[in-house]
Amino acid sequence: MTLQTSKASRTLTPGGRLRARGFRALAAALVAVTALAGCGGTGNKTASQVSTGNVQAIADETIKATDPSKSPANANKRTDTFVATIKNAGGVFLPYFYRNAWDENLVQPIFASLVVYDKDGNPVGDLAKSWEVSSDNLTYTYHLREDAKFSDGTPVTADDVAFTLTLENDPAYNFGLADFTEIGIQGAEDYKSGKADSISGIKVVDEHTVSVTTEKVNPVALTAIGGYVLSKNYYGKDYKRGQLDYLQQFYDKPLGAGPYTLDKYVPGQEVRYTANPNYYGGKPQIEHLIFKVVTDDTALQSYQNGDTDTDVFTPDPDVLEQLKGFGWSNVNIRTNPYFSYSIFNAKKPYLTKAVRQALYYGLDRKQIVAAWYKGYGEVANVYAPPSNWAYTTDGVNTYDYDQAKAEQLLDQEGWTKGSDGIREKDGKKLTLTYVTKDQTDPMLTIGKDQYKQIGIDLQTEVTDQNTETTRLHSGDYDMITFRTSVINDPYEAVKEFGTLDESVNPEGYDNATVRDLVKQSISASDRDARKPVYAKLYQELSNDPPYLLIGYIKGFNAWNDRIQGGENFFRGTGDAALQLAKLSIKQQ
Amino acid sequence: MLRYTLQRFLLMIPTLLGTSILVFALFALMPGDFFSGDTKLTQERLDQLREAYGLNKPVVERYFTWLGQLLRGDWGFSMQYNLPVSTVISNYIWNSFIVSFGAFIIAWALAIAVSVYSSRHQYSFGDRAITFVVFALMSLPSFFVGLVLIKVFALNLGVMPVGGLITTGSNYTGAAYWFDVIHHAILPMLVIVCVNFGPLTRYFRTSMLDTLGMDFIRTARAKGLSEASVVGKHALRNAMLPAITLLGFRLPALFSGAIITEQIFSWPGIGRIQFESVTTRDYALLMSITMLLACLTIVGNFIADVLYTLADPRVRITRSKEASR
Repeated sequence: MTLQTSKASRTLTPGGRLRARGFRALAAALVAVTALAGCGGTGNKTASQVSTGNVQAIADETIKATDPSKSPANANKRTDTFVATIKNAGGVFLPYFYRNAWDENLVQPIFASLVVYDKDGNPVGDLAKSWEVSSDNLTYTYHLREDAKFSDGTPVTADDVAFTLTLENDPAYNFGLADFTEIGIQGAEDYKSGKADSISGIKVVDEHTVSVTTEKVNPVALTAIGGYVLSKNYYGKDYKRGQLDYLQQFYDKPLGAGPYTLDKYVPGQEVRYTANPNYYGGKPQIEHLIFKVVTDDTALQSYQNGDTDTDVFTPDPDVLEQLKGFGWSNVNIRTNPYFSYSIFNAKKPYLTKAVRQALYYGLDRKQIVAAWYKGYGEVANVYAPPSNWAYTTDGVNTYDYDQAKAEQLLDQEGWTKGSDGIREKDGKKLTLTYVTKDQTDPMLTIGKDQYKQIGIDLQTEVTDQNTETTRLHSGDYDMITFRTSVINDPYEAVKEFGTLDESVNPEGYDNATVRDLVKQSISASDRDARKPVYAKLYQELSNDPPYLLIGYIKGFNAWNDRIQGGENFFRGTGDAALQLAKLSIKQQ
Repeated sequence: MLRYTLQRFLLMIPTLLGTSILVFALFALMPGDFFSGDTKLTQERLDQLREAYGLNKPVVERYFTWLGQLLRGDWGFSMQYNLPVSTVISNYIWNSFIVSFGAFIIAWALAIAVSVYSSRHQYSFGDRAITFVVFALMSLPSFFVGLVLIKVFALNLGVMPVGGLITTGSNYTGAAYWFDVIHHAILPMLVIVCVNFGPLTRYFRTSMLDTLGMDFIRTARAKGLSEASVVGKHALRNAMLPAITLLGFRLPALFSGAIITEQIFSWPGIGRIQFESVTTRDYALLMSITMLLACLTIVGNFIADVLYTLADPRVRITRSKEASR
């Protein structure tokens, strides 16, 4: 009761109404100011640049720091520590036994391998000083460095390699990391089934030489077999075939032959390493290494504040401006060794060669790439990244945007435009299901629109990675978009076209000429012999496309100029540890 | 009273069981499983792996396997982290608790203080200013508040860290360690306070206003009690009764982790772990976290009910009557 009367008396005061009016005017002014602030500014300039599709291919380059003395105090304080970043950590410090993909980055500084790939996909010897491949491309012989030691001082020998490979082929090994089904080490099946007590294909020739014989020709075998080496004395003490649970005790107590050893792991926060005095390349100059967990939201701020010494950024013109503005940061812009693509479901009878070519011609891929990667991308026309040794666009159809050509191809196939603008043939409409996992995929907007103009109804769906893979295998799509993983050997990008095996080629692409060329491309191990085969293969693939190739994406790699050698360290590349070992800090 | 409490306690068990069935069924309905995301695996390998982990068994069988394990105290094994689920959860859940608990104390203390002031000076300039600030903070998304705080306090003023749990590379122990952690927790706490403080203030303010308008307050004033005693003791206590229900839901919130805030501050909390377990289909981890929160919700609700009964004699008598009927 008391409340009601007091309310009633207030509304009658004239002052109250005036105050209310004043407030309304203020609110209106605020809205107007905010609306005006939204217009203009650099944001709009980039948007209009992008929408015309007239973006020149941005060159790969390194922008040097203009004023290294501006390096933040937080960074300079660290006279013997290098801080790099990761986005996540699982905490299992044992190669072949982790599931969180970021743990690969965590084990790299600790464990050395036989052979690794550098950022351009060239094999580099780590623990192996040299290697040979037999003339039938099935036997790999590695010669180990004599001075290689684990961090506890024990030598690395061929027995350790044999033990590691045996462990990876243990019947109880249940991880996706060491997958030898496409390589097939001789004698592995007998070992797994218990018929033999060791793997016959692995031969310890002498203390520093090991030879492995495989059953299928596969160039990836060089690094798959030559992966991280585990110490037999340390990890193999209690090893019995079929029982791998005992390894769990070693997850946080790793022993490797890499440049650093594990110092401390703070879950979800950072991993700390200390330099290994027994490293074959000599103790690294930087005593402490830290991989700090930093999420995308504050990556730039952390870098700016000097909390991190290097980071990888998603290309964006604004980010580049900021990085350049710091003065103490070097920035490397390079094309990443992978590409994005959309798989055509070869099992759908209406996706004929002509229709697929029409889908290429009817799409302005330059515009799609410019919009998706904010100008930091290039249209892909070949099944290999530009940095790869097999990359060539000779004789390849670049399918430049040509709406008229697309329409002509569809007309010739018998797809006539219906009353609603969508093409039909024999009572069936040309409706295609497009599946992607990225909300910002411009196919959802630009692509849908451009296809509508040529009479194709693109039904788009956005879903997550696991669902996408399930749909790929169930065939529930017309076009489904993915991005390849890092491509080191060109075979990795085309291997599925070389077989009709559904588990490798779920989309069902069937072209006999392509199959032969793919098989031919791995019949030799010499690059000079393989290169022309790939050139022919790319031509064939562009004629009868299994994928709608979209683009290559660039990446920004930034590092504080105080880190000497920082231009060679790229997070996640095969030789990251080798480069870490060579870094040093410029004393100010 | 005791009968009522016992009844409610026993009811929790079928509720928990029902929740577990519902949650398990929902997760099993999602297409794909843990290995679906790995495009590099061949079908042969996929089949081998699925066989080894029992992922190809029917849903019902998997549910009872999981339930059996849980009843024996085995929370299961996280496929994503390749560690026992209990290890993964304990690594992260206490970090979330620190931030949530701190934010809870600050938000509630602030909300109570502000609502007492607001209700006593209703419609004054102070009250209107507070209302404006409250609504402004409620409208701002948490990541925006977080990023602004980072810009101002970490980058411009340099008094707060950009993120993380502890100072990178530090080896503090004891009090110095806790100082470092709290220093890092201040900004995340502030973000959560900004988001929660608004609705709480409105809720308490309304409750206070209602209570202040009641007859017994007029009686208390007529008796000659000081204003501080009238408002701070008699009015506040009665106004806070409905807040006990809110407290009940606070329990799971203390352990659930604020996903967005944790993401912004790279705070190693359980929020992101839970989110990732959904996208990676790590069933063991997912079920454990979900059931933990479900458990806490049901228990929190139960505790709130009991507390309410203890605090308000009217309810106690009514419930005893009902229970004994």
